[in-house]
Amino acid sequence: MDDLNVKNQPVLKQFVPTPPRPPHKSERGILGTIRHRCFNSIGNSLLTLCVATVLFYLVKHVLDWAVFNAVFIADNRRQCMDISPDSACWAGVISWFNGLIYGRFPVDEQWRVNIGVLLGLVWLLPLMSKRIPLRNFILLSWIGLYPFVGGYLFLGGRFGEELGLVHGAMTCLALAFLAIIYANWILSALGKKGLNELFVPLVSRLVERRIHLLSFVAVWLLVALVIASGLSQVSLEPVPIERWGGLFLTFIIAGFAITMAIPVGVILALGRRSKLPVIHWLSMTVIELVRSVPLITVLFMAVTLLPIFLPADMEFNKLTQVLVAVCLFAGAYMAENIRGGLQAIPKGQYEAAATLGLGYLHTMVLIILPQALRMMIPNIMTSFISLLKDTTLVSIIGLFDIMLMARNIANDKDWVGMHTEPLVMISVLFFILCYSMSQYSLNLEKRLKVDR
Amino acid sequence: MTTSSGNLAQKAVTETAIKIDNLNKWYGDHHVLKDVSLDISEGEIMVVCGPSGSGKSTLIRSLNHLEEYQEGVVSVFGQPLSRDRQSHKIIHQTMGMVFQNFNLFPHLTVLQNCTLGLTWLRKMSERDADKMAMRLLDRVGIAHLATRYPGQLSGGQQQRVAISRSLAMEPKIMLFDEPTSALDPEMVKEVLDVMIDLAKTGMTMVCVTHEMQFARQVADRVVFMADGEIIEVGPPEQVLVNPQWDRTREFLQHVL
Repeated sequence: MDDLNVKNQPVLKQFVPTPPRPPHKSERGILGTIRHRCFNSIGNSLLTLCVATVLFYLVKHVLDWAVFNAVFIADNRRQCMDISPDSACWAGVISWFNGLIYGRFPVDEQWRVNIGVLLGLVWLLPLMSKRIPLRNFILLSWIGLYPFVGGYLFLGGRFGEELGLVHGAMTCLALAFLAIIYANWILSALGKKGLNELFVPLVSRLVERRIHLLSFVAVWLLVALVIASGLSQVSLEPVPIERWGGLFLTFIIAGFAITMAIPVGVILALGRRSKLPVIHWLSMTVIELVRSVPLITVLFMAVTLLPIFLPADMEFNKLTQVLVAVCLFAGAYMAENIRGGLQAIPKGQYEAAATLGLGYLHTMVLIILPQALRMMIPNIMTSFISLLKDTTLVSIIGLFDIMLMARNIANDKDWVGMHTEPLVMISVLFFILCYSMSQYSLNLEKRLKVDR
Repeated sequence: MTTSSGNLAQKAVTETAIKIDNLNKWYGDHHVLKDVSLDISEGEIMVVCGPSGSGKSTLIRSLNHLEEYQEGVVSVFGQPLSRDRQSHKIIHQTMGMVFQNFNLFPHLTVLQNCTLGLTWLRKMSERDADKMAMRLLDRVGIAHLATRYPGQLSGGQQQRVAISRSLAMEPKIMLFDEPTSALDPEMVKEVLDVMIDLAKTGMTMVCVTHEMQFARQVADRVVFMADGEIIEVGPPEQVLVNPQWDRTREFLQHVL
């Protein structure tokens, strides 16, 4: 019917859209923007000048104190005072810098901390590249296996002696996995097959199903054995957990809390939405109980109360107890974030998944959670940032994290009473860390927003 | 209620795809489906129409258990459905559904939307699933958009993706719940064209729609519902051109 109408009508004029023009010239360029925003009336011009003056003096004073008049080289606080009485004495912070970063970790063994942290970052590096296959798998392997490598390097010890056999075996498997990831990355860049395909011809002669999986396992075990034989020759000086400290300890606690927050949070959030009364009430109790109590109390309870409830022969070190407490605390908060995301998912998504035949687990893992988590990135990141800062509370129960190390400087006979500088230093450090986290979250949000 | 004897005789040789027997559903005190009975043969195109609130969406959603009902039996290829695992399996293996709001998965690309069921439920290899999905996307004319995300597509394109996603699971019966109601007028045609093509392949289809043009063109039978009851069933030329009931005539005067 429509076609007929069109044919009977006279020839129409052709519509050509008017091309867009550039913005008005007063708003063009940096100068234009400044004039438009800051000097667009006499009142606003005066206001701009006033604010600029105040800012100038503020910045000048801070810079004078922190940089221009500050003392960087001195043997003790008295010398600092003599050189410049009203300015920062960074010499103290510099001389304690090692302690702030590593705590009381033996100086000769600190390379192990560096290597351990570096390995953790290197493991995550492939996630930055979009072309790497099985990125989620790499992330999972990091969560599941990296702690063993870290634990081995930080704790030290010899295989089968201080280091338990299970821990040792897991360390070798973890390192082997990392080696395979990188070998595959290089091989795929060269256009060759992955290392895990090495045994495919051999395996395919023996079995018919799951050839690729079996080949991967075979390669993995082989590499792990090679690494094990190498590591069994090495003996690392054991470092007790009590000597861990500084920023290093803060990283361990915050890193653990951040990694565990999502899985614990997801389980609690799904539990709270469960239709089974027992699971629902249990999750709700945990969430509400932990959320209603300050972190300090949770930490104290973990250190003082937990040992009372546990059987006498079960003994945990303080760090483990703190990790459990922080993890529970982070999980409870995360659960509510995630629940908010889950509620924002339209019912149609569940229905579409159901009509495709996806079950509860598939629906949640493939459809609902990826969307809910993406939607909540700003809130999740906010939780992570406050977690990182909250971990400084562990200094109160006597873990030598960066905060306690900083306060120790004031007790050093050379730097007696020096409180301000270490705290400023920590503030700057935390600002850098937290600000990069928030920038990363913005970046992540932008990258994942394509779909909306 | 009128039945069309001529049409049924024609289809008598084919199997009954869906048999709805005395379906009753209440939302609280509200009786939304009243003694609904209907047989749909294999390969039949059934269009369900009626005013809003007549229970047509509830009826079609009861067929694949998106809605629970209190009384009555729905049988698919002779198998009565209940709430157990076996019934779920039958539903998912035989029925696909297309929604008014598309309900695509916004975090997955068009291609991933289509291959999701194949790789996770059918355990198909990624390559085979991609190949199959691309064939379906090509059939609905949007293979070139395979790597886009649903949010980057127009409504009509999204609905065509939704149809391919359902077809990927190779259903024997397709349920359409007002597939063109959320679309701009300019995009209705591209979706209807896909549905007409699908009808030609012999797929059993149940469509809730207000597109009377479509009903006239492809439907084997039209069901008219009002107030939770089936008022008329018959070939489109009978129900749409020469209705027996005043309620049907009144409705048709509004939509035609």
